[in-house]
Amino acid sequence: MTVEADHGTVLVTQRPAGPDAPPAIITDLFGALTRHGLSLVDVTWEQQRLHESRRWSVLDMLAAVDLDRLTPLDRTLVWNAGRAELTTKPGADRLERQADAECRRWQDSNPTVSAIMQACGTWSRYWNEEEAHHETAFNRLAQLTGMAPIPDETFIEFRQVFPDDDMLRTLMLLAISEITAAVNYGQCQQVIDDPGLRRLFKQVAADEIQHRNYFVSFAKALVDSGEYQAKDAFAVAHLFLREDGEILGSSRDQVENRGTHVNWWDRLERKAGEDDFRPEAVEKKQQLVFGALKKITGIEVHSREELEDTWMDLVGG
Amino acid sequence: MESYIRQRFAEYVGLPEEQLFADDVTLATVIGRSAKMTNSIDLMETFARTSNALRKEHGVRVRLPTLPLDTPMPRVLTIFLEEFDRQKRAAA
Repeated sequence: MTVEADHGTVLVTQRPAGPDAPPAIITDLFGALTRHGLSLVDVTWEQQRLHESRRWSVLDMLAAVDLDRLTPLDRTLVWNAGRAELTTKPGADRLERQADAECRRWQDSNPTVSAIMQACGTWSRYWNEEEAHHETAFNRLAQLTGMAPIPDETFIEFRQVFPDDDMLRTLMLLAISEITAAVNYGQCQQVIDDPGLRRLFKQVAADEIQHRNYFVSFAKALVDSGEYQAKDAFAVAHLFLREDGEILGSSRDQVENRGTHVNWWDRLERKAGEDDFRPEAVEKKQQLVFGALKKITGIEVHSREELEDTWMDLVGG
Repeated sequence: MESYIRQRFAEYVGLPEEQLFADDVTLATVIGRSAKMTNSIDLMETFARTSNALRKEHGVRVRLPTLPLDTPMPRVLTIFLEEFDRQKRAAA
């Protein structure tokens, strides 16, 4: 929009710096960087606009929670969420470092892939900041309601950095982690009475879905570039959805002792008042994982068996 | 059959058979020793490739259960062979 004002004899043209279109995730990042010629400055501007449009205050959100109304189950859900969210900072720190290293690795051989990696690494600062809201909101609330304190040893243990892996596999794993968190928080909303706490879980779940969408966008761009293979996205999906897979989290009979890092879904604990509550909602998570796979690779599957068959076909002999 | 599975698996992992199927070697050890592997996803892929090779050669598709990383390799081989026999009987 251009505004013109007559100041005496001089006509001043005022051009607002803000854009007209609402902010959104660039779902076809490869196309945006190639066919549409967007620069990294353009992409970063879109990230900034969306980030700003979604900001919220932890202090305001906590002020709306009625602490005396929270049930033992509510408090357990908050406590588990706070511990789980501790693992996101090392995830974002690692993504920033690995994406930048990958950006430089691809710079000469494929500048588009290099730009995708840089866009991903740049966005990780927003992801990190948004996850800081989740972590501090839940942990402060757990503290205020007298839940078991998190010892510094546990805090530091949960901050361990996941070992590096292929970038497409990393992005798919992060997308599934966000799906798992969003569905769990959605399940929490179903059993919480206090409107303030319900709103907090709803907000965090919405943030996680937005993060999932970003991971899907970066992963799709890597597959679209032709340098990364669909089989790797399918492999991670199979790791989660296979029998006794990661999607079952801490309810599995045997959870690996990884030593190197903490997967938050392995460390959710059941406490008093939680006997009738099962956050897994595996069916819902499964559908969202299938949806992510379709967006990233263009390949559609409808069941765990079909997922496994497709992955094995993609792997080859 | 056992020899075929051992050969394929060793080829995909990039380690000699005698090192791979020793009693004290677990799935976690294999990931640590193989230059071709980063984590358990690579292990899954190795099983899938071995299974695909079996399907191509013998027409039987083996689906392995989820195995803990402390499972010894001789035990993995036994499970693979048992699954192969089970699937073969089911297909007959």
